[in-house]
Amino acid sequence: MSNRSRRTPWRDTTIPRRPLLWLAAALLFTLPPMFGNLASWVPFLFLLALALKFWMEPRGYRLRSFILKVVLAAVTVGALFLSYGTLKGVEPSVSLLAVLVSLKILEAHSAREFRVMVMMAWVLCLCGFLLSQNLAIAFCLFIAFTLLIAALVQFHRGSSPGAFWLPLATTFKLLAQAAPVIVLLFLLFPRINTGFWLPIGDPHAARTGFSDRLSPGSITALTGSTNIAFRAEFPDRRIGPGGPMYWRGLVMWHCEGMEWRAPYGATSISDSSRPHPASDKAIRQRITIAPHGARWMFALDRPFEVTSRAILARGNYLYSLQPIRKARSYEVVSSIEPIGKELDDHERRQALELPASISPAVRELAASLAAHGSQPRAIVNAALQFFRTQGFRYSLSPGEYSKNDLEEFLFHRKTGFCEHYAASFATLMRLSGIPARVVVGYLGGEYNDLGGFFLVRQADTHAWCEVWIPENGWTRIDPTSAVAPGRVSQDLSSFLAGRVDSGAMATGQSTFFARLARLALVSQIRFAWEALNYQWDTRVMGFDADVQDVLLTSLGLNNRGSLPLVVKVLIVIAAALIIYAGWMHLRTRPRADRIQALYERFCQKLSRIGVGRDLWEGPSDFATRAAQSLPNESKRIRQITETYIALRYAPGPAAVNLREFAKEVNAFTARRW
Amino acid sequence: MVLLFVLGAMWYAASSQNSPAVYLLLFGLTAVFLVSIPHTLLNLADVTIMPESAKPAFAGEEVCLPVEILNCSRTARRGIELVLPGPRSERKRVDDIPAGKTTRVTLRFPARQRGEHKVGTFRLTSIYPIGFVRVLKTFVSSQTYLVYPKPSGDTRLPVHRAGSPHTRPQTELGEGDDFAGVRAYVPGESQRHIDWRAVARGQPLMTKQFAAEAEGSVHLDFSAPRFHDVEERLSQLALWVIEAERLRRPYSLRLPNTQIAPAVGEAHFHRCLRALSLFEVTERA
Repeated sequence: MSNRSRRTPWRDTTIPRRPLLWLAAALLFTLPPMFGNLASWVPFLFLLALALKFWMEPRGYRLRSFILKVVLAAVTVGALFLSYGTLKGVEPSVSLLAVLVSLKILEAHSAREFRVMVMMAWVLCLCGFLLSQNLAIAFCLFIAFTLLIAALVQFHRGSSPGAFWLPLATTFKLLAQAAPVIVLLFLLFPRINTGFWLPIGDPHAARTGFSDRLSPGSITALTGSTNIAFRAEFPDRRIGPGGPMYWRGLVMWHCEGMEWRAPYGATSISDSSRPHPASDKAIRQRITIAPHGARWMFALDRPFEVTSRAILARGNYLYSLQPIRKARSYEVVSSIEPIGKELDDHERRQALELPASISPAVRELAASLAAHGSQPRAIVNAALQFFRTQGFRYSLSPGEYSKNDLEEFLFHRKTGFCEHYAASFATLMRLSGIPARVVVGYLGGEYNDLGGFFLVRQADTHAWCEVWIPENGWTRIDPTSAVAPGRVSQDLSSFLAGRVDSGAMATGQSTFFARLARLALVSQIRFAWEALNYQWDTRVMGFDADVQDVLLTSLGLNNRGSLPLVVKVLIVIAAALIIYAGWMHLRTRPRADRIQALYERFCQKLSRIGVGRDLWEGPSDFATRAAQSLPNESKRIRQITETYIALRYAPGPAAVNLREFAKEVNAFTARRW
Repeated sequence: MVLLFVLGAMWYAASSQNSPAVYLLLFGLTAVFLVSIPHTLLNLADVTIMPESAKPAFAGEEVCLPVEILNCSRTARRGIELVLPGPRSERKRVDDIPAGKTTRVTLRFPARQRGEHKVGTFRLTSIYPIGFVRVLKTFVSSQTYLVYPKPSGDTRLPVHRAGSPHTRPQTELGEGDDFAGVRAYVPGESQRHIDWRAVARGQPLMTKQFAAEAEGSVHLDFSAPRFHDVEERLSQLALWVIEAERLRRPYSLRLPNTQIAPAVGEAHFHRCLRALSLFEVTERA
């Protein structure tokens, strides 16, 4: 005992091993978001610090020297500056924090610092979410969060006996009780937008997917990308419309031969000219778009009803009022049929504009196409026929083209991907006098059975054309279908898989993994994961101030302002906690002992007339003393005490029963004289 | 508080980024914080303390105050600290008390002034399970402890000066007849007399006892010491009491208002020292 007390001053200067283990495990789980987002040496430094700590701690080594600390801090901050060129922005600041935590790990040695480290770990969790918000990262950070609580519980348990994992039981209990509070706060806590901070990340780096410029090779570059572009649900029907699904993204008007460009900025279509097709041709979709940094939004060809914070731009595509830097959900209604039967002069002029640099050979070809008749249909069919019969090949590696290589493509190499066909076809149409434009978007998508949604990846990016046919309006023509008819009916990956299997196409990818990916079980797991991801993105990540507004209005809570709501939420939570605390207290309160309670009542009666029982006094000693000072009552005092002793201490079943004892005690009224 | 700072940072990040994920983290931490409050508050429910009587100590030594912490509840209580607030400031941590069990801790603090002192308030605190809130439970105790005067002055006993001038308490180990042996350590005793060497050999805690042969009786009188200061006189008397007890010589004590007949033995020893320690206090009163 005295040995332990001798050691107590030491307790504050070492961190016990078990909490440290929990903390280290938690810190490991804050690492994943760092990999891939920060300079690669930062997470490694972090790992190294953790490993070193476990090597140093049992040996009592510590980063003690002040000068060494300063030097290390200066070196790492310098290295950060070299890696990023600046210390501003999110990635450098998170790196800085991670580096400082690494150093703190090496330095920390007291109980107080342990708590500081836990708090820093929580800030690291926050940083993880600033870097990435997908479901996998969320899982990691949730585990880190749990382990941090476990570390705290273990730390405060001290040397309490029990298995290593016991703090987890307490942790899960806490989390289970916290869960309803979290849900309540998440749903009802007002989301005040304090936009006084720089947007996360650099807007250029955040750009994914296609750009507003369709140059040869720009879509080919995306075919390897498995990044999600968006996910779509059809609330009115389980599966989407039959036939190929063209998801309209951006419409390009400016032709530069093999290269097309969207107009800078979008002009809205006026309401009056917006057509309204029959309702049986309308398809409602709920789309959750992944952030891509630009402003166009996707919808099935062709959208006609706009969602909030977006306009329907000229060319019939959705254009967001703000760049899409965060996942966003919206509903949109599209029409399967071409809509809009009028083409004004300005648009016609724009849809026929051509660059001067078109070569004579190409002009000749266009003239020969135009010779097929005055009907635009005939010219279009002739052009498609040209692609079909002249030995064009659909390829993922079509080689390099520049924007003036139209002739090279059409007459010599004849190898291209969708953007080559779309761009050259539209240019040929314009040369033949038919108004034409290029549409970039996505084709197909993978249907997820479990989640009931379509998942569209960047690899599904596609480009096609629209030509103006006076009786139909803008009509979709996909020249790729003339070259590779299979592509249009499937998404790109299954199309490619089919081609690889039939030997029509060689890829650098190992076929083992391709086969593995198509195994039923693997694809089931993948579907389940993607469905879960979709739920996360729509239900959790999509729950922003707008959705909250809708929810609160539907609950009838919104019109009372935000502050009373906060107060109400807090009152509800406080009440729940108080009820819980009371219940828990009742549950753990010592069991009422009736015999003991009766005896205590008897003692109370005696003490009221001045014969109090001392704490150390046994019942019979007390009875003797009480009987001496109250001679009148001595018999009853003795009897009650005997009954009590018999009830309480007799080895066998007592001869007297409890009710009699109660009667005796209740009947006992002591008077001094 | 650090937690509030972290929550603030999270709220700032969440609201400026409008990020539901960060909100989720923020609410997660907030909810755990809120939920932990009843857990911490209830961690001291039905936990009481029972201070035991402290052994008297000489001024300048340390008082050992054993305290029993009782867990009357039906679950284990964890991470409890017993604090003695004030200038004596001493804390003891108990990691675990199983349901319905008790734990005994010994608070140690220096005995400063002779006399009878009140222990006053005890405080139980706990921040288990996660340390976001602290619960306090204060107990006011009427428990007292006695501090004897610090023994100092002349080791030679009065009247029969010839006694044994060579017996000095500092040289106890060198003299075989003074060292009476060891007995088991009783928690609460001063650590000064523990046989630490035996402990180092791995043996249980033992207290060394000293004895000496008896001689003629000694009369200890308040007026005998040559000092003018009351405290110094009391210190001298205390030392003589110790010396006489050590030599097993019967001794009597005469204070201006108290008279204790000659005797020897532990009860007499403590009676005399008690009289000495309370002397000035009663005078003042």
